[in-house]
Amino acid sequence: MTLLSLTGIDVRDWTVLQNGELPEEGASVLVPLARLQADADAIFKAAGKVGALIPTDTNFRDLEGQTNSLAMVAVEFPAFGDGRGFSLGVRLRKDLGFKGEVRATGPVMPDQALFLLRAGFDSIDIADARRVVAFKTALSRFKDFYQSDYTGGRALAFARHGNTGTRIAS
Amino acid sequence: MYAYDKFDHAMIDTRVAEFRDQVGRRVKGELTEEEFRPIRLMNGLYLQLHAYMLRVAVPYGTMSGGQMRRLAHVARKYDKGYGHFTTRQNIQFNWPKLSETPDILEELAEVEMHAIQTSGNCIRNVTSDQFAGATADEIADPRPYAELLRQWSSFHPEFSFLPRKFKFAITGADTDRAAVKWHDIGLIVRKNDAGEIGFEVLAGGGMGRTPVIAKTIREFLPESDLLSYMEAMLRIYNEHGRRDNKYKARIKILIEAMEADEFARQTEVEWERIKDEHVDVPMEEVARIKAFFTPPPLEVLPINAPAVEELSKKNFVFASWVKNNTNAHKVPGYVNVTISLKPHGGIPGDATAEQMDLVAALADEYSQAEIRVSHEQNLILPHVALRDLPAIWADLDDAGLGTANVGLLTDMIVCPGLDYCALANARSIPIAQAITKRFGDMKRLQDIGPLKVKMSGCINSCGHHHAGHIGILGVDRKGQELYQILLGGSGAEDASKAGILGPGFDEHGIVDALEKVVAVYLGERRKGEEFLATYRRIGADIFKEAIYDAA
Repeated sequence: MTLLSLTGIDVRDWTVLQNGELPEEGASVLVPLARLQADADAIFKAAGKVGALIPTDTNFRDLEGQTNSLAMVAVEFPAFGDGRGFSLGVRLRKDLGFKGEVRATGPVMPDQALFLLRAGFDSIDIADARRVVAFKTALSRFKDFYQSDYTGGRALAFARHGNTGTRIAS
Repeated sequence: MYAYDKFDHAMIDTRVAEFRDQVGRRVKGELTEEEFRPIRLMNGLYLQLHAYMLRVAVPYGTMSGGQMRRLAHVARKYDKGYGHFTTRQNIQFNWPKLSETPDILEELAEVEMHAIQTSGNCIRNVTSDQFAGATADEIADPRPYAELLRQWSSFHPEFSFLPRKFKFAITGADTDRAAVKWHDIGLIVRKNDAGEIGFEVLAGGGMGRTPVIAKTIREFLPESDLLSYMEAMLRIYNEHGRRDNKYKARIKILIEAMEADEFARQTEVEWERIKDEHVDVPMEEVARIKAFFTPPPLEVLPINAPAVEELSKKNFVFASWVKNNTNAHKVPGYVNVTISLKPHGGIPGDATAEQMDLVAALADEYSQAEIRVSHEQNLILPHVALRDLPAIWADLDDAGLGTANVGLLTDMIVCPGLDYCALANARSIPIAQAITKRFGDMKRLQDIGPLKVKMSGCINSCGHHHAGHIGILGVDRKGQELYQILLGGSGAEDASKAGILGPGFDEHGIVDALEKVVAVYLGERRKGEEFLATYRRIGADIFKEAIYDAA
């Protein structure tokens, strides 16, 4: 397992809190969402930093009100084709205003690295360390994009017009 | 036509380099076939029964003579000298070598063509009216919006791994030639009371094992809000579409389950949150794209061409061709010419490299260098002066492209079937050949009149059998290929689902059954009444009796 930073932020390995455990004093822990919801007070009290480990079928509204106290949200992809994870990244940034780290875990492919970055992810927990190079290559491949995103990227349609384009009011 | 700028060129050149790297990793064994599969599919590369198949996009069915010439070159150099035009207005090459596919894409990129998202669980090539920009019955040319959608949907960071494939169609005309109501999202250009351009937005249409006709989600969406509204719809689908069963993963199932009103409500809520973000492009960009689709400067010509009238009197086939294969252009004295790729006894949708070269040459000489592909698997010269028809027809006829059957029974949509496709249950091509031979007499065909026959070799419905006035569906029954007959479908503005008549027939029986269906129609029709109207008036029972009880 290797961690790859997409946005340049400092990334660290976080311990996943196992069932029935409480965090060691001051430790950074990643907590499965269900457990976090059940035990929030005790976990936040003990831990230094807390991250939520969420499955791709999570409704983003379940995280409403918690995003200020979380240092990380890790989205666990059960398969690379489960595109709900990309929308969760967008929801975290766009709808929840989450400023902490968003991490992808699970069997994502190198060829998805740039999509993840543009969907709001900061880091990828890469299962097969031999693939780090392929991930990095994919990350730097495209320079311009046809879509704006919710991480500050503007569609190249804006660049075509000197970034001064006029939005028509509807 | 849209022309790439440096950004568009950089985008597809980068994609070719990426794909070359991916193929290289696969050939070296660094990627397993399982890992390579989704990667190649996102670039239109399938593994078929006998070989790889490369599907190249013809965005909204519009291409230039030069692009067609390049397709002919690819067919000749990398394939067996032919290609197959599809219902998504694309072209498929059936025999490329895996190791050569990056070279093909590089050659295509030089003429601004690509295979991006012609497969995979992503937004596919946007299809449109084959007469767009050249027909009298449209409110506005839909292609600038199709190009906007093409760019927006290419490498979308959030919507490249949807629950299932996703198909858009857009038309600017009241007469729907693009089957928009059979698409995941269908867009119809509308004008509001203030005279402003916008879209009626439909969603949840689709074929496959669960045919559904799309429902209207919004009556009028302002032109400027197209992309943000599409993003809202796609986000709802990406989050809530089913992923546990691929047969229930299309947006039609989601919309049926939550009901169209609720889907519309959720879309509107999400749209309100994003419509003032930077999803929609600036108006200067819409204007830039529209400028590429300025109508060609055609000099108005007389609406009568003596040469056409003279040859029509002498030559019945030419007269039939003018009647069936041409449509009124918006400029007087011009027509849209549909080149039938349905020669009687031939393979529907196929064209040889030589035929492609000829069509390219004719386009350059007679049609402003423009060609269209229709979802009915024909080619179109959109801007032809009436007076040039005799010369064009003579060249086409010499090349085996003069069949005068557009819109008639033998102008069938047909999937490749079990001759090529790994998913098929039954062969389609030999059945189409038998049918077009049986009904090959032009006088009889014209007497039968407008009739859309559509055939699929399996329930995936690539041959649009649900939307056929007469649909034919190939099934596998204990190892035997059987063909079911369906009646009453429509892919037009009066969209309807065809209903299965009864048990299937073998490959000979299906042709006889079709004969009986046609005979019932000819016996029952009122003067001037087309097949679909007769069917809707008299119902299925009389057809059922004729084909099942008479024996």
